[in-house]
Amino acid sequence: MFLKRHKKLFFILGIFFFLIPVGLLSEYPAWGEWDVDFFKESLGFIPEGIKKSTNSINLIPDYSINGLNDVISYYISAIVGVALIFLFFWGLKVVLKNER
Amino acid sequence: MHIPDGYLSPETYIAGYAVAVPLLAYSVRKLKKELNENSLPLVATLTALSFLVMMINVPIPGGTSGHAIGTAVISILFNPWIAFLSLSIVLLIQALVFGDGGITAWAIASLGMGFLAAFTASFIYKLFYRLNKNIALFLAGWFSIVVASLFVAVVLGIQPMIAHDEKGNPLFFPFDLKITIPAIVGSHMLYFGVIEGIYTLTVFKFLEKINSQVFSDVSKEA
Repeated sequence: MFLKRHKKLFFILGIFFFLIPVGLLSEYPAWGEWDVDFFKESLGFIPEGIKKSTNSINLIPDYSINGLNDVISYYISAIVGVALIFLFFWGLKVVLKNER
Repeated sequence: MHIPDGYLSPETYIAGYAVAVPLLAYSVRKLKKELNENSLPLVATLTALSFLVMMINVPIPGGTSGHAIGTAVISILFNPWIAFLSLSIVLLIQALVFGDGGITAWAIASLGMGFLAAFTASFIYKLFYRLNKNIALFLAGWFSIVVASLFVAVVLGIQPMIAHDEKGNPLFFPFDLKITIPAIVGSHMLYFGVIEGIYTLTVFKFLEKINSQVFSDVSKEA
């Protein structure tokens, strides 16, 4: 019964997982998530704060991995993200058990 | 949208952290009481689903795109505090691992897409669910993301007022409320609110159908 329930839960996760490449079809970013050049073009200058903070170090910046196909990068990103989320809740479960 | 680093003045993001961190600490305590062997896999799955649905960018007229956030369904199935915590985890992973949204802006993003969206969804659902449950689910989704977008639009739109140099040039996000409100809130009312409403309704119905056992356990507790 317990396993069966989980299987059903993973089913819905699977559906969305296979749908994610749809998200790559759009060329356009969300409103406001522009490149720094956008500010230069529309304002004639880049606001100081935005200019200063363009370098952040991420494991998989923008869900894309150098040299890999976009769709494959996207799938790997999804697996990494979902794994980290389950890891968090699994960790939480362990902590909660120990506290009881 | 995910606010990048450099868009918010320190006054804004420090205030964001000052409000969000105590609320998150409280939500962890709240979660401890409610999570058990039945609910934990479901919360984890819905949180993961929230992460995945945010990857599905939908293009809209006007050359931008956006996506559902998945807060409302967690809030309705469990409670707003759990939805707030779930979304905060998603946003933290997006900021740290994928550079999607800035780490300085994380607290503000989590107050909007997490806290405000979750409590709005819960309020709207309770208001309408006696009338019609399906309509209540849709409206909970719609209002949750629209309220979140209003919060983000206001926070971004006040940046030019808060921080500019002697010449009056903005130091951080440069566009004021007259631009941010129609652009951000308008697109959420017309498109992303509808997407969030459909997502909330569909996922809720789907869970109800495939998993009536888990579902009834959960909704009894709620």
